[in-house]
Amino acid sequence: MEDGIYHGKPPVGKRLGDWFKALPGRFKGFFFGIGGKFKRIPERTAARLYYIKNAPRPVKASMCLPGLGQIMQKQIVKGILFLLVVAAYVTYMVLAGGEAMYDFFSLGVVPANPWLGIKGDNSVIMMLLGTLAFIFTGFYIAVHMANIRDAQRTFDYVARGNSTPGFLQSFASMFDKYFYVTALVLPVIGVFVFNILPIIFMIFLAFTDYSGQIVLSGSLVSWIGFANFKQLFSTGLIGSTFVKILGWNILWAVMSTFLNYFGGLGIALLLNKKIVKGKKVWRAFPVLAYAVPGFITLLAFKFMFANQGPINYYIEKFGGTGKLFFGIDSKWSARTIGWLVNAWLSVPSSMLLATGILANLNPDLYEAARIDGASPWTQFVKITLPFVIFATTPVLIGQFMANFNNFGVFYFLRGGLIVDGYFLASDTDLLINWLYSLSIDNKHYSLGAAISIIIFIISSVISLFVYIKSPSYAKEDMYR
Amino acid sequence: MKISKADKLINKRIKKSRISKRFTFKRFAECFFTYLGLLAIAAVFFFPVLWLILASFSESGSMYTFKGFFPSSYSVDTFVKLFTDTKTYNYPQWFLNTLIVAVCSSVLGSLLVILTAYVMSRFRFGSRKGIMKTTMVLGMFPSFMAMTAVYMLMTQFDMIDNLWGLVLIYSAGAPMGYLTQKGFFDTISNSMYEAARIDGASNFKVFIRITLPIAMPMIIYTLLTSFTWPWSDFILPKLLLKNKDMYTVAVGLMSLGDTEFARFAAGSVFIIVLYFCLVKYMVNGLTAGAVKE
Amino acid sequence: MNKAKRFLSVALCGLTAASLAACNGGGMREKYAEQSLAALYEKFEGDIERGTAEKPIKLHVLENDTAKASGYLKLLLDGFNEKYKEYNIIAVDANQDQYSDLAENGQYGYGPDVLYQANDMLMKYCTGKHITPLPVDKLDAYAQLPELAKTTYTYSYRNAEYFMGVGVNIQAPMMYYRKDLLPEDWQDKWDANGNGVPDMEEDMRAMYRFGAQRHTENSSNYGFMQSLFDPYFSCGYLFSYGAYVFGSNDTDTRDIGFAAGDAKLGAGIILQLAESMNSGCIDDSITVARESELASGAYFAVNNTQDMYGTMIDELAKVYKKRGMTDAQAKAAAAENIVAAPIPALPKSGDLKETEGELIDSVVMGGINGYAISSYTEYPKASLAFLNYATSHEMVVKRNEYLGVSPVREDSNQACTVQSDVAHMLFEMAEKGLIKIMPTIQGADQIWTPLRTAFVEIATDPYRESGKKFYAANGKCDYGALDALLRSVNTNIYNAIYTFGNK
Repeated sequence: MEDGIYHGKPPVGKRLGDWFKALPGRFKGFFFGIGGKFKRIPERTAARLYYIKNAPRPVKASMCLPGLGQIMQKQIVKGILFLLVVAAYVTYMVLAGGEAMYDFFSLGVVPANPWLGIKGDNSVIMMLLGTLAFIFTGFYIAVHMANIRDAQRTFDYVARGNSTPGFLQSFASMFDKYFYVTALVLPVIGVFVFNILPIIFMIFLAFTDYSGQIVLSGSLVSWIGFANFKQLFSTGLIGSTFVKILGWNILWAVMSTFLNYFGGLGIALLLNKKIVKGKKVWRAFPVLAYAVPGFITLLAFKFMFANQGPINYYIEKFGGTGKLFFGIDSKWSARTIGWLVNAWLSVPSSMLLATGILANLNPDLYEAARIDGASPWTQFVKITLPFVIFATTPVLIGQFMANFNNFGVFYFLRGGLIVDGYFLASDTDLLINWLYSLSIDNKHYSLGAAISIIIFIISSVISLFVYIKSPSYAKEDMYR
Repeated sequence: MKISKADKLINKRIKKSRISKRFTFKRFAECFFTYLGLLAIAAVFFFPVLWLILASFSESGSMYTFKGFFPSSYSVDTFVKLFTDTKTYNYPQWFLNTLIVAVCSSVLGSLLVILTAYVMSRFRFGSRKGIMKTTMVLGMFPSFMAMTAVYMLMTQFDMIDNLWGLVLIYSAGAPMGYLTQKGFFDTISNSMYEAARIDGASNFKVFIRITLPIAMPMIIYTLLTSFTWPWSDFILPKLLLKNKDMYTVAVGLMSLGDTEFARFAAGSVFIIVLYFCLVKYMVNGLTAGAVKE
Repeated sequence: MNKAKRFLSVALCGLTAASLAACNGGGMREKYAEQSLAALYEKFEGDIERGTAEKPIKLHVLENDTAKASGYLKLLLDGFNEKYKEYNIIAVDANQDQYSDLAENGQYGYGPDVLYQANDMLMKYCTGKHITPLPVDKLDAYAQLPELAKTTYTYSYRNAEYFMGVGVNIQAPMMYYRKDLLPEDWQDKWDANGNGVPDMEEDMRAMYRFGAQRHTENSSNYGFMQSLFDPYFSCGYLFSYGAYVFGSNDTDTRDIGFAAGDAKLGAGIILQLAESMNSGCIDDSITVARESELASGAYFAVNNTQDMYGTMIDELAKVYKKRGMTDAQAKAAAAENIVAAPIPALPKSGDLKETEGELIDSVVMGGINGYAISSYTEYPKASLAFLNYATSHEMVVKRNEYLGVSPVREDSNQACTVQSDVAHMLFEMAEKGLIKIMPTIQGADQIWTPLRTAFVEIATDPYRESGKKFYAANGKCDYGALDALLRSVNTNIYNAIYTFGNK
């Protein structure tokens, strides 16, 4: 941590302004970037063709059959390993993969009939395994390419007058020069199978009729193109529900991110004051709250605010009339409690974060400011705030996204209501709650998938731009 | 912190002047309001937890008989019941299950996260920015829509009702959240690695000998965050675990009947205690990774 | 140029989607479209499957949590295992959540072989053929089942009828009240017709008055209490005045009848009942508290189902014990003082404040819990043997003894010992058509959320400080508004069923 890096940085307001001013340009750049990639296709194809025609013989051999080139260059073990990969892939394709790919398009022909013990074709499983087959093929292609590159590399290495690297040498390079490949193999496979595959599957699902009756009766599923999206934008009530919920969702996310962030910062600043004795003890209270898992807190708060719950009990005991905190008309009281409860859940972690950052702040700056006669407020706005915000932009984005997709709060506090003017949703439901009600409760999976694609596009575009701009991405090497 | 002698002198004088002159109403008021604020914060955060703990000692199971916040009579029956009356709600077994899942997935998951974060921070290779953007974007996808697919996938791998299935999913998904750890590695100066490289150590050795020891606080943080997650996640285990004896604590607690609030509270108390014991170590890592610069 | 490229990529995506739409298994699917169901019952023919001593056949049985907690399940499994020892068949507890969904688990091999659930759950599985039709001639219990249980578990498919499950016990909301909380002089003041039955038990208007009286004496005391938002307990008030779920005997989901007849009067009853309770009737506060509050004496009567009878007795016994009774005394006194009765009759006019006038019987929504066999079981004959064992007269009576539930078998209903009056009463009510069994047709599970929302709306109204929705200027129910609300329930249900191409 170096002293005073924030010297000479424009105030946060200006930077925000600049950031917004630069937005159109950035959008343009993004699409031009994609356009540029397309433009270069013919040129790159020609280059590839030329390479294939003029590659040295071992490389050509590797192009035809991975491992062959390596064996020709006397790298027997490596060659056999590549051959094994080919063998494994071919075996898989013959035994299962090929059929899975075919089934992916047909989605099965024999309907299940459990009454007669006919297992039939399970369309969604076919879709899933088909997708898996495509992913395996992708992996195979990556190995194939690596094999060609490897053959070329060995060829060049030998051509420069070196002796052929032995297997042990190659093996050692896996833990040195290519350590990043070795290290990433497992994580990448894991993420592909358990994160990317399900997401791709859901995207495909949006183009099928896997919904309602078809789910319940176990019938065969069909590809139906964009019909789900059309339905989403054609029916009046659904469309207006979507717009209303989206608006509330954004308001919710902005407001709760703001609350949690400044709540945490406020507490951290308070604890940071010189006059506070026993900081550890004071800090333990929010930390205790941090230690309670979310679902427990939410259920406890639900009971607390129940119509005949303790809070109303005291209100009534002192002569007031009980409030229906989560009642059907209580749109704003429910929303406000939602914000507060969410703050209770998230403020402690942002407090801890802010404490850590404040510890890194250079105390000299404050001294200097004090000598200059700056008021505590000016010190806060001019020194603390810019520093903290600058240091936590990525965390802020993360928090915003987490709040945007915050399923738990209203599911636990006020689930199971439909409010007038909403389609199977209530006025506190976020998009994610609506999704749940549509897909899980009412089995409209394909429609849910279509909606999640839309949410996904909105949120990913926003956050990707913010992220690329954020210091952790753009300036990651700045302080080395 | 480099404070020059002159500065120190000035500081002293400022302090002196403050103490002597301004020990007045203003200073008292500041002190008063600060502590008032602290008390309020402590109350707001402590009260619900206290309530939950006291509810677990309530004699009657349902909280609607409390009349206000607190039970009318206390007993430890609920805790006894929690561990002895296991016919329908097998809490000890749930606890054990969660422990197994938590330990295994925290070890496996942390290994993968640390590897990923280290590689992404330390190496520069072709697909790096692509991977970074992809993981960022994938994180945006509403996750439980993909849950259906995960369920079907697990049925194909025959991993339903199997704690290892859960471990597999938790650890395989862990590298998606590598950003905090990467942030930490980004702060480690390159010169340290370069020195070791010049001495002829391979990247693997550098990772084992240099990176891991430096990253200890971060590793502990990672271990703990992935350790604590299975205790509070209930959506995924609910989907994958059918047999009640296979439940994790969170799923089990969620499956309790309406009138079992005291049991719910009692079951929660153990998780809270567990979390509270570990939270100290998490705090260090949380700040270490997130504070960049 | 750039634009063109972008257009091209979108067009490519569209093309892919369109080409995908074209493949869908082609004409091949039609070949398999019709499967003959002639061989349906073949799997039940012949001798029962046999396991070996090393590898016995395991039957997974899904049962209720209460059956497990009370020890009945153990009795059942042990009895069956003893009887079928020579076949090496062992029935075990599937140990799954009692509401677990066979549709989700069965086809992947994780479901139970035999399952005990409510009729709406079980019949929901029919569309996906997850439970298998039973051979009527091989069911020992069939002859003893009343007509209602037979029709409830009949599934019509392609112009043929199939029998899907054997009902074991019938369940419906009833009123449970505390005899010892009746006023001392009830025989003089609260028995207008002099039949020896307190008016509160027979007439909702009397109950309403009595509740008001209790509440004025002590503001924490009430009369009849229930969570009115709960659609299962509350839709009976609508049925009493002529509402129905679906048209043509619950077979036509396009005809939704929650506003039919004088249903708005029933909605008015809910509104008036809400006035007489507290805001706990809008959420599940009362549901959660009813057993303990009945025991404490704060509630005089509650709306409850038979399976909670044991809990009510236990809670009350606890209170008595604190007053110094012994264990046995307290249990006996509790059983003596908790009286079950059908929900009191309602005024035909829909006005609970009137004292005179015609009464109509209350209709409630009930269910028949029963056993069914999963289509995915590997041992259909053993499963059938288990089903026959579990639905035998002896076991059904035992179930009643352990759980207090009312047998649906006619012989067991006569012979049962616990809450036998309730068992007979439920039978009578069913015969009179006062129990409406939860509909089981596809789409029936879409009625609950819209109904709940409407009941929340109504029950909230007395607690609205301003902007009350269902009161006319004179303080009486605004039946026009209530009718409009019920119509919107119909629309919401219709939308939930039909908006996304559910045919």
